[in-house]
Amino acid sequence: MRPHTLIKYTASLPRTGLLPALPIAPGKRYNTEQTSPARQPRIPPPVRPTLAVSTEKRPNSVTEYALSTLDGLINWARQGSLWPMSFGLACCAIEMMHLSMPRYDNDRQGIIFRASPRQSDVMIVAGTLTNKMAPALRQVYDQMPEPRWVISMGSCANGGGYYHYSYSVVRGVDRIVPVDIYVPGCPPTAEALQYGIFQLQKKMRRTKVTRMWYRK
Amino acid sequence: MSSISRTLRNLRKVGIKDAWHQMNYIGDTKAGTLIGTDKFGNKFFEDKDDLPLRTRWVDFAKHDYDSGHIEPLWHAWIAYAVDTPPSQDPLMELGKRAWAPKEHVPNRTATLGAYKTYSTTRPKISAWEPYAAPR
Repeated sequence: MRPHTLIKYTASLPRTGLLPALPIAPGKRYNTEQTSPARQPRIPPPVRPTLAVSTEKRPNSVTEYALSTLDGLINWARQGSLWPMSFGLACCAIEMMHLSMPRYDNDRQGIIFRASPRQSDVMIVAGTLTNKMAPALRQVYDQMPEPRWVISMGSCANGGGYYHYSYSVVRGVDRIVPVDIYVPGCPPTAEALQYGIFQLQKKMRRTKVTRMWYRK
Repeated sequence: MSSISRTLRNLRKVGIKDAWHQMNYIGDTKAGTLIGTDKFGNKFFEDKDDLPLRTRWVDFAKHDYDSGHIEPLWHAWIAYAVDTPPSQDPLMELGKRAWAPKEHVPNRTATLGAYKTYSTTRPKISAWEPYAAPR
């Protein structure tokens, strides 16, 4: 029996424990109206969590307070001068330029585009990555000093996008370099990229630099 | 900060406490009227005497704020897409539009509720399903 037919079949059965729990397809909720409540206890719909990551802990000793404060300072410094590598590949680069132009004015957040990967912290991959460009992208990424981040901008960089079935295009920049933030859109507006940068800053704020060093 | 005189003038209008709060969150002192509050507790202000495109602003309820925390209709107002705020427009009341989502879901990126990709194609292999027969 094919798995997807099995899932459909077991959804209409009373859950008596004979069958193992099967994975429910994501986005699909339990259909509680299919069986009567007399035969089966009502299964509450799964609660979608809204809390932050549950492994996050409050500091409870002097060392932890000191280290988390130090981490906060490091992260504040990092996110206050986020220098992107200008890696414009296609039309997304135009929107990336809009972001640094006076209307959105990235300079006010300390975001200054650098021409050299050795001076930059984040690489904004804006546009279609072709097979021919991929080794160059990887080389540029390897030249960036740690800590480094990657923002994949636009559907072409996220997963090939319009050129997904092309013979000469990489199906997503995450096949070449690890990506932190994916910005959807074709092309994303400058606001969307700005929002992606804010999300990256949020991610940077959670970085445990000295706490991880202390844990070792 | 727009200008020193404007900053100081607004500081005098709103007081030290609010100005300190604004400097920490907006980076400027602002003095205006409270237009409304959305469901999440974000406060929306307007000052028509300010420079163009600086007349509307929001005071977020959460400390670690995110522009996705704003409700869509308020977002339209604060982005200057509409003139009347949703609290004063009867057409924009919640529940009037059947097709609109009942409640706004903020961006769940980096939380446990984050979107995960999944495949919608039919699986090419049929996996063995472990099944214990009743004894």
